[in-house]
Amino acid sequence: MRDMMSYRYHPFNEIVELEGGLFQLNMGPQHPISGQGRFIVITDGEIVYSIEMDIGYSHRGIEKILEYRNLMQGIVPIERMVMLDTSNIAMGYVLAVEKLYGVDVPPRAQYIRTIIMELNRIISHLYALGLYSESAGWNPAIFLWTTADREPILDILEMITGARWSYSFFIPGGVRADLPRGVKERILTTLDYLENRIRVYEDSWIYNETFRMRTEGMGVLPRSKAIEWGAAGPNLRVSGVPYDTRKNEPYAAYDELDFKIVTHTAGDSYYRGWARVEEIKVSIDIIRQAIENIPEGRIRVALPPKPVQEEALARVETGRGELNVYMYTEGRDKPYRVKISPPSFRNFYVIEQLPKIQTIRLADVPPLIYSFDPWFLDADR
Amino acid sequence: MFKDIMKFIEVNLPVLIKILGFPGLTFILIFLIFAVWYQRKYLARLMTRMGPVHAGKVLGWLQLIADALKLLTKEIIIPRESMRKIFVLSAGTLSVIPATAITLIPFAKDFAIFPIRGYTLPLFLAIMTLYPIFVVLMGWAANNKFTIIGAFRSIYLDVAGEIPLILSTIGVMIWAGTYDIQDIIEAQKSIWFVFPQLLGFIVFLVSFMAMIEKVPFDIPEAEAELVFGYKTEFSGALFLDSMLGDYVNLLAWSLLMITLYFGGYLGPSITGDPIIDGSIWTLIKLVIVVTMTFTIMISYARLRIDQAIRVGWNYLIPLAILNIILTIFVKYVILGGG
Repeated sequence: MRDMMSYRYHPFNEIVELEGGLFQLNMGPQHPISGQGRFIVITDGEIVYSIEMDIGYSHRGIEKILEYRNLMQGIVPIERMVMLDTSNIAMGYVLAVEKLYGVDVPPRAQYIRTIIMELNRIISHLYALGLYSESAGWNPAIFLWTTADREPILDILEMITGARWSYSFFIPGGVRADLPRGVKERILTTLDYLENRIRVYEDSWIYNETFRMRTEGMGVLPRSKAIEWGAAGPNLRVSGVPYDTRKNEPYAAYDELDFKIVTHTAGDSYYRGWARVEEIKVSIDIIRQAIENIPEGRIRVALPPKPVQEEALARVETGRGELNVYMYTEGRDKPYRVKISPPSFRNFYVIEQLPKIQTIRLADVPPLIYSFDPWFLDADR
Repeated sequence: MFKDIMKFIEVNLPVLIKILGFPGLTFILIFLIFAVWYQRKYLARLMTRMGPVHAGKVLGWLQLIADALKLLTKEIIIPRESMRKIFVLSAGTLSVIPATAITLIPFAKDFAIFPIRGYTLPLFLAIMTLYPIFVVLMGWAANNKFTIIGAFRSIYLDVAGEIPLILSTIGVMIWAGTYDIQDIIEAQKSIWFVFPQLLGFIVFLVSFMAMIEKVPFDIPEAEAELVFGYKTEFSGALFLDSMLGDYVNLLAWSLLMITLYFGGYLGPSITGDPIIDGSIWTLIKLVIVVTMTFTIMISYARLRIDQAIRVGWNYLIPLAILNIILTIFVKYVILGGG
């Protein structure tokens, strides 16, 4: 296949001819479905021979920015990696800083963090579901429904943290503020509403015959390849690997809460969407438990004056998969180097490899890519 | 001289009104504006949005006129390596084909633009089969990969949708015992054909969605992968023309559905004038059919082209043939040639 790709590349001309009747379709960066990136698709008009993910259109150098901030200031830029999922991303960074300083966070703060992170995961998954439905050719009804259903959760998060998207609420040693009065009841009513809405999504979308026709058996990621290529998040779990950082290496209050990991053995695009719906249900369950069991007490502790370790590695489960934050300081309050390994980057690699093991058609490309819930800003950093 | 002109106008006035006025040009243009506006408002409500509200204040009724004016004033960009004449002509005349077919549809008793009787239903179908040729010309002339893929998908889809659609109309023709559209409508005085021809209607409805290229069969446009299919390169007034063609196509097939299955212009008398009554009933049924189309449009995902062809050939065509056999059996064996 590779030798066929000795093509005449011209950045501005749409027609790029290849040998053997193949041609290159540039999906993006200006394309209805591409987002902040480009999919270079080599196709003969119907069968796709390769997908190349061209990322880097929104590279902001977050790792470099972090080197010029002290550890506390770094919380704000790192949240810009995924604006839908800011608290999960910030958790990875804050966890690394806490490991550097060796502090024990009070249990109430851990529970508040868990509640906020799970609310954020619901937002992230809802948005992913909306984009997925649109890429499968839906009129944007589902997208707008999910967008509308994010609103009550955003209101709750605004009530707790004061911001709708980027909270900067987690700080090393705890959280900035306690839960305001009346928020627990509001969360519980919102979760009830959300459960009803998820039933609507299942009836109108997940169980929809045309959607099943489009996605079932398409883009199957087998278990061995999922591990080999390093798929992340729900995409890994529906391939039959029960790996979830919340279970395998618990942080925040996850070790005290009882929840199950959503897994499946099918590994196709349909079940990648299904897994996100199921994970929303799990998140609802976790939040209910956390609200019930939240202990009284302090919400933060002061950090010691100097880091006790020079380097730290933190792993958290974000909405898109496991995020690794490696941090090296020379014993100062400023990182020498922060290395972030985002989940979307690994998922993009999996998408690139998939056409090599099975037939992908041109119409399958957008739902295939969006079943992995990609986020270009995440991969670009 | 002047008298001759006046006499010509006097003699031909009803015809001119029909061509330029109600079932003709003005009606089609107003239908375009109404259909796009209605689609936007109706789908917006289903999506928990408001749709256009600002222009014209009341329900945003001026929005589409504003959009049309905007498109007319925009620059027409013709790609450098395209076939210029075909590019302009194919998009500009796309709406002519379905508009010609509409001239055969009676909006009231003896009130069609082209008042011929006889083999009008086969003629209607024959005219409508020319539409995909213009689509392919559009896609080919633009010389763009997205447009070419979209044009050929359109051909595949027509192969999948047009044959079952025509086969399902054969059932109606046999049941009514005539090829004439007006006679088919008159034959529905006792019962609409949607009931005795239910199987045929289901086949017709699915292939109807394929012929008007709406979701779940908007495969040639496939926004997710093909940007806008065969219309990708068209801008300004040419885009408006291609959109007009799209909606006149919708109008023509919807009118055919009304005439074949929902009793066309038939309905209880309102004003006493048969032409006005028939027109009112046709328009009411048209709005209902269009609403049904939009509801189907929003409820499904888009099929893949191979799946659409499989639906057409594996399910619709056998069902349509079964419908023909059943129709013959019921009409000539059970009812004894009614």
